[in-house]
Amino acid sequence: MSAASKPDETYYRLLTELQQLDFVLVELTLYLDTHPHDMQAVQQFNQTAQRRWQVAQAFESRYGPLLQFGHSFSRYPWDWSNAPWPWQV
Amino acid sequence: MNQIRTWHPFVGPFDPCPPVTCKAYLVPPNLFIPFQPPNWPQFPPAEALKHGTLWPALYSPYESRMLEGRAEGQ
Repeated sequence: MSAASKPDETYYRLLTELQQLDFVLVELTLYLDTHPHDMQAVQQFNQTAQRRWQVAQAFESRYGPLLQFGHSFSRYPWDWSNAPWPWQV
Repeated sequence: MNQIRTWHPFVGPFDPCPPVTCKAYLVPPNLFIPFQPPNWPQFPPAEALKHGTLWPALYSPYESRMLEGRAEGQ
């Protein structure tokens, strides 16, 4: 495990923010399933999705990929298998 | 609106167990909202995650009554 991937305060702050944004996206998804013509909610969904993407980018550039099989970029050397794993944080 | 409702069940004379004279149940707010109106006020993301819903109007605390009973028993 490299020093760069060691969980610090920022690691948990970004993960928490991701979790919060993901929850908002879940709620808006369920809402929009029954309210497809709510323009404001669609805008909020897209803004939140964009914000989520930014936070995910910031996290991945610091601590390595969140997703695999081409949904996230990898740094060099390949660090997918490095600790900490999701159940360790 | 108070989300806890109570009723007093019939107590039979041959009930082998000590009767529970007052039973309570929870009615969450979504039961009374047939279709969610648009543009409801929202929690900020951090609060939404904590409350388990994005909209304060749908929040139901669901406090455990088990702990009340234990506190009395001990």
